[in-house]
Amino acid sequence: MVEAEAMGLIALGAGLAVGLTGLGAGIGEQSIGAAAIGAMAEDPKFFGKGLLMTVIPESIVIFGLVVALILLFVF
Amino acid sequence: MCGLFKTPAYAYITARVRARKRKLIPKETYPKLLNMQLPEIIRFIEESEYKKDVDELSAKFKSIDLLEHALGRSLGASYRKLMDISRGEVNYLITEYMRRWDVWNIKTVIRGKYYGASEEEILNCVVSAGELHYPELELMAKKESIGDVIASLEHTPYYPVLTKYEGGMLNKIEDELDRLSYTRLLDAVGGSPGEKFFLKFIQTEIDIKNLKMLFRLKKAGVEREYVQNILITGGLELKESDLTRLSGLSFSELVHSLDGYSYWRSISDVVSDQMTTLMDVDTKLDAHLMNYASQISHYYPLSILPVLDYILSKKIEVDNLRVIARGKELKLADEIIRSHLVM
Repeated sequence: MVEAEAMGLIALGAGLAVGLTGLGAGIGEQSIGAAAIGAMAEDPKFFGKGLLMTVIPESIVIFGLVVALILLFVF
Repeated sequence: MCGLFKTPAYAYITARVRARKRKLIPKETYPKLLNMQLPEIIRFIEESEYKKDVDELSAKFKSIDLLEHALGRSLGASYRKLMDISRGEVNYLITEYMRRWDVWNIKTVIRGKYYGASEEEILNCVVSAGELHYPELELMAKKESIGDVIASLEHTPYYPVLTKYEGGMLNKIEDELDRLSYTRLLDAVGGSPGEKFFLKFIQTEIDIKNLKMLFRLKKAGVEREYVQNILITGGLELKESDLTRLSGLSFSELVHSLDGYSYWRSISDVVSDQMTTLMDVDTKLDAHLMNYASQISHYYPLSILPVLDYILSKKIEVDNLRVIARGKELKLADEIIRSHLVM
């Protein structure tokens, strides 16, 4: 019973790690994406740089995913 | 939390205006333009960002007139684009700031009717940059009399002011319209950090407008009562009491009583009792305003301030190109033209 509870908490932690980092990345990306689209509308050559800048906050989600995987498979 | 949802709207518009500002003619180019002859200047402008406007108007106008109209049209199109691509709070602030062009257009149409100008002549002078779109301006220009023009503006905020017109000279109603646009603008500004600087800018603009009027009216020896009625209240440094005091002074006294204000540093080298032209003062004051807008545009990158900087820079570019082209056409010395450029 105790083990099942612990497993449940670990799964909840893993879910929070991915979910909250995803939310954070989304908040960060909304402004970067808007600015990138704005810059691209004026100069299409900005596409590559704009795309790169927009996905930078995604790295936070990767950290969250790593934490979730550690929680699920190491503990 | 509310600011979180406003940020993308500001991020989008500021990215666009920064890209647009980069396309403006750099100030290092103006000396090169001064070394060119008029046909070369026209060609330079035809090959720049104004190409589309020049091409579209080339069948209707020639030479310097083509240039003038292309510049005016480009200015209007740029400002309208800003209103079209923005939304929410930033759109509201831009629209309120652009009301000055509505006022300009209403004044132009009414003045045109007053002096019996043709519909085409009137439409050549309007800049469709405000809330009133070109088709509305066309309808206004088609009206027979000033009364009809005023009646066609019933749905606009300018109507209550315009109904005060009882015939005769237009200056009273024109001053009222100016005052209305500034009052609305001052009321529209909110309390965010960026908007606080926007408010300071508008107040500085009012001060500069008042200073220009004071210089002109005092140089012409106009009486205190008349001067006071024209000045706009709500400035940053020139409060109502300052305006009352300054409007009662003679030109010489006015010149000597301005050293207590921050604007003095910008105009001190061109102002004197014996000055014959006020163009230098106007140029210096415009440069002061432009530099201030440029300076504050970096304070809050995601605010109305970078947009304001672009709006002002575009207007000054158009004015500078007009000065160079007209100056060259009139064969003025390069030094005179340069002194009238806002840089």
